[in-house]
Amino acid sequence: MIDKRLFRLPGIKQLFTMLAGLTVLQAFVILLQATFLSRALVNSWEQKPLNTIYIPTLLFFVSFLIRHTLTLLKHRYLHTKAQQITDDLRSSLLDKIYTTGPKMIGKRGTGNLVTTALDGMDEAENYINLVVEKMINMMIIPLVLLVYIYFQDVKSGITLTILVPLIILFMIILGYAAQDKANRQYAKYTILSNHFLDSLRGLPTLKMLGLSEKYSDNIYKTSEDYRRSTISTLRVAILSTFALDWITTLSIAILAVFLGLGLINGTITLYPALLALILAPEYFLPLRDFSNDYHATLDGKNAMNNLLDILSIEENESNDLLPDISWEINSTVKVQNLNFNYSDSHADADIKNASFELHGFDKVGIIGASGSGKTTLINLLGGFLTADEPQDIQVNDHDIPNFAQKNWQKMFSYIPQNPYLFSGTIKDNICFYKPEATDEEVQTAIKAANLDEFIDSLNDGLETKVGEGGRGISGGQAQRIMIARAMLDQDRKIILLDEPTAHLDIETEYRLKETFNKAFVDHLVVFATHRLHWINEMDYILVVKDGEIIEQGTPKELTKNKGYFVELVESMRGDKL
Amino acid sequence: MKNDTWVKPYFTKYKSLLALIFILGTFTVICGAALMFTSGYTIDKSATRPYNILLIYVPILLTRAFGIGRPVFRYLERLRSHNWVLKMTSDLRTRLYKTLEKDATFFNETHKSGEVLGLLAQDINHIQNLFLRTIFPTIIGYIVVALVSIGIGWFNLWFGLLLLLLLLVETVLVPLVSVAFQRARKYRQKAIKSELYTELTDNILGANDWIIANRKDDFKQLTTDNIKSLNDSKKQSMHFTQYRDLTLQIVFGLMLVSLLVFTNLYFTGNQAQANWVSAFALGLIPLSDSLIPISQGFDELPEYQDSITRLNNIETTDRQLPEQKEIDLKEVTIKVDDISFQYLEDTPELINNFSQVIEPHTKLAIIGPSGSGKTTILQLLMGDLKPVKNQITINDVDVLQLQNHRTQIFSVLNQSPFLFNTSVMNNIALGNENASDNEIKEAIARVGMKETIEKLPDQYDTLVEESGQRFSGGEKQRLALARILLQDTPVVILDEPTIGLDPITENTLMNTIFEVLKDKTIIWVTHHLHSINHADQVLFLSDTKIQMQGSPKELYKKNKHFQELYKMDQGI
Repeated sequence: MIDKRLFRLPGIKQLFTMLAGLTVLQAFVILLQATFLSRALVNSWEQKPLNTIYIPTLLFFVSFLIRHTLTLLKHRYLHTKAQQITDDLRSSLLDKIYTTGPKMIGKRGTGNLVTTALDGMDEAENYINLVVEKMINMMIIPLVLLVYIYFQDVKSGITLTILVPLIILFMIILGYAAQDKANRQYAKYTILSNHFLDSLRGLPTLKMLGLSEKYSDNIYKTSEDYRRSTISTLRVAILSTFALDWITTLSIAILAVFLGLGLINGTITLYPALLALILAPEYFLPLRDFSNDYHATLDGKNAMNNLLDILSIEENESNDLLPDISWEINSTVKVQNLNFNYSDSHADADIKNASFELHGFDKVGIIGASGSGKTTLINLLGGFLTADEPQDIQVNDHDIPNFAQKNWQKMFSYIPQNPYLFSGTIKDNICFYKPEATDEEVQTAIKAANLDEFIDSLNDGLETKVGEGGRGISGGQAQRIMIARAMLDQDRKIILLDEPTAHLDIETEYRLKETFNKAFVDHLVVFATHRLHWINEMDYILVVKDGEIIEQGTPKELTKNKGYFVELVESMRGDKL
Repeated sequence: MKNDTWVKPYFTKYKSLLALIFILGTFTVICGAALMFTSGYTIDKSATRPYNILLIYVPILLTRAFGIGRPVFRYLERLRSHNWVLKMTSDLRTRLYKTLEKDATFFNETHKSGEVLGLLAQDINHIQNLFLRTIFPTIIGYIVVALVSIGIGWFNLWFGLLLLLLLLVETVLVPLVSVAFQRARKYRQKAIKSELYTELTDNILGANDWIIANRKDDFKQLTTDNIKSLNDSKKQSMHFTQYRDLTLQIVFGLMLVSLLVFTNLYFTGNQAQANWVSAFALGLIPLSDSLIPISQGFDELPEYQDSITRLNNIETTDRQLPEQKEIDLKEVTIKVDDISFQYLEDTPELINNFSQVIEPHTKLAIIGPSGSGKTTILQLLMGDLKPVKNQITINDVDVLQLQNHRTQIFSVLNQSPFLFNTSVMNNIALGNENASDNEIKEAIARVGMKETIEKLPDQYDTLVEESGQRFSGGEKQRLALARILLQDTPVVILDEPTIGLDPITENTLMNTIFEVLKDKTIIWVTHHLHSINHADQVLFLSDTKIQMQGSPKELYKKNKHFQELYKMDQGI
């Protein structure tokens, strides 16, 4: 039910202590409330006048008030703390994303991470709220009440004590089986609710096949199948609640009979009997609350686990191992036997024993079939992925274990296939590497990226909002914004590109090529692509196959060799006109 | 809300089942109260030490009956209410499907519709919760309020009225005030959350950029403001809820106190009367369980309201089509005669004076940047859209008059072919329901998937998994192609089927496509010149107009621009 890691969160122990204190106090107030109520009722039963119940009734109301005020205080304290805890968690999550970023994003998926950071946080907060309160209530209140009942009437005490293990046994037997079923049902539920969404998404296809009208019967049928299977599962799943309910109500009924018999035999008087009867439901209440919220906490528990899992991902070690250098015409990177393994199955290949060098302002192409490891190699060069083991890497004779080094990352710009536009203005996006850039610098960069015409055509020019909720930007223009960003920061003399034109239409690509070539001057370019025309622009090619660099050299050398490179190019090119 | 057709009708649709739920729910509450009531009476009565134990026999029996009754009724009520709600869900889903099915234009903006569909599916879940969490508990609560007030009023009218007043405060006044106060906050929180969502997406999708820009502080700062205002607003909500709950308890406490006073005043005539004193007080206590949550249910109303409004706002436009005709489908000639198109009068023209004759078995490639109207042309060709000027004919009949037969004329292979989460066999069979198993397998063999499928443990019965995840992009296209082979239409539309595929896969796929569809008319929208050798005619679109047209060989010879593009594509 509860992940042990929850207890290791900072501030949670203090929270438990404080709440436990308040709950003990509350348990005593519940006792007081019951005694005053019993007193008032006994006086009425003895047909005493109204003024005899004034004081007990008043005191009953006061204790009732205190009891619920205590609940308010508990909630207030708990909610504030839970909010603090989740805020800390969210902050750690963001740190985690920043430090282990792409590695984790690849593993978890963007959607998952955003959901975890937003809705997941709410669920986790809710989980802390529910679990902590209900658990403490369950551990403290029944115990205090039971001790008191023993003092009042041993027999009632025994009756209530005997029931507890019985309830727990019942809960274990029924609960586990049913909960398991319910969990499976929950999984099935997701599938079926996806089925419906699936059908809606498939509607255009069904329409083209002329089946869309007929398919509505299928929607109804599937939904009804789901209803039947849900109900049959529910029959078992809610048995545990039923059992708990049943034992509670029945034990009150039994208690009432015992007390009645005791009263007839004269072994007990009305006051303690009434007190025991009033306290009995209070005794079971925390247990019932706890089990009622089981399902509500399931989501929260999963969200919490998910979050804690993410936070436990190990971070890279130091990112300060490279001194502050700048990339010059005579700079070099030497990589020897670079290895990288994805820990789980992945669309792109692992990298095996890759050795290569990058010099000055060379243009280096990475060519390979899809899934051959091109993207992995670019991500390793960018330090977005790092191997667990230190690798043999030298930048200008400085040894570094991986490329996730601050001073390396500030030397390059990165242009992926689908560049990400931040929600903000075009200017914000262009100035992303260099927020302090002057207007003049921005204008120069825009011209260099041939973006001026497009920007002039916009009503708001550079201040046009893009990204989520902003204006849609075509793939070609987005790439130009990336080029302007790279051109703006003249300290970044390296450009890493990952298939920047693969998804663009040929006209756009044609027009963009010139701009790219202009931007490449006086830069080291590392360019992963399967668009063949880029090969002609490169000084040096790394040919990747199944994660290995199986050939490298200038395009001319490779063409002469008639090896895999030639074979690859031929099969990519297809039949000629 | 007045003209709602998504929630209200269901109050009458399964009326008797609904009544049963309310009866069971009411019995649950009554049994809970009656258990404590009879227990209290049993004890009070016993305390008079009657000579004969049989005198408390009936109350003892009743205690047990109510003790069993409560869990049993509760169990049944939960089952019944879920059953009812799921029944309604089946109806709602079918209805949503049918509504959307009628409206092809809904799917025009494919990017947007994915999101909207998710929302609509979610809305139906919200309606489920509206019933389970708000409507059922509230109605059962009100029935209980009525019963209790009448019960007590029977003993004493004025006290009955007092209790009714307190109960109404508890179940009507406080919930209404609560929802009024919380509504604005909920909307505000929702707005902040959607901003936060954008910012977090920026954080996560842009993580690489943040890291290389070395802007950790900005990265963290991005969400700070909104998180703070969200937390503040949530804190206000929580404080309000806490005070509200305290108020509800105080009102309930007042009810108990007034009951204590009442019983002391009216049930003290003799011992037989006094024996009922504890019964009343104890019987009232369990009612708080069913009255206090009503406010909580009310608080959720704004959220449900949004969903209901959204569902009610789905507009369906019944298309007015001209009289439908039949034609011979063997040889199909498509004529586009100088058409123009724009969505509305004040929106930009998407197609401008476009003409084209597509003879049978022509392989026509349409190339152009995004936004040049490629997709619009396809929609016009199939009759999803109507030109604002002139018409498109198939064998000299307006395509709009052939909508009953469109699935016999056109089949479509698009960017992401949709595979349903069922077996390979079933997915292909969708192409032609009358196809025999052998015909299906033959189609699969023709598209080159025979070996792949037969290698799988379940072979043709393999599930394709959600949106075809089981197969790679190229394989999915091949399976969809097999479906098209079975559909066997004279015209096949290829809507950028190779986007996102690598060039080697693209080559082999296009080879297969043109091989198996060689006797069909093909209209192929593409974004580059890869495999262009398969086309007889290439049509370059830009800015709503035809920029150049001709057979690829001809163009290569005569048109310099085409030559440059082709060379670039080929890397030569």
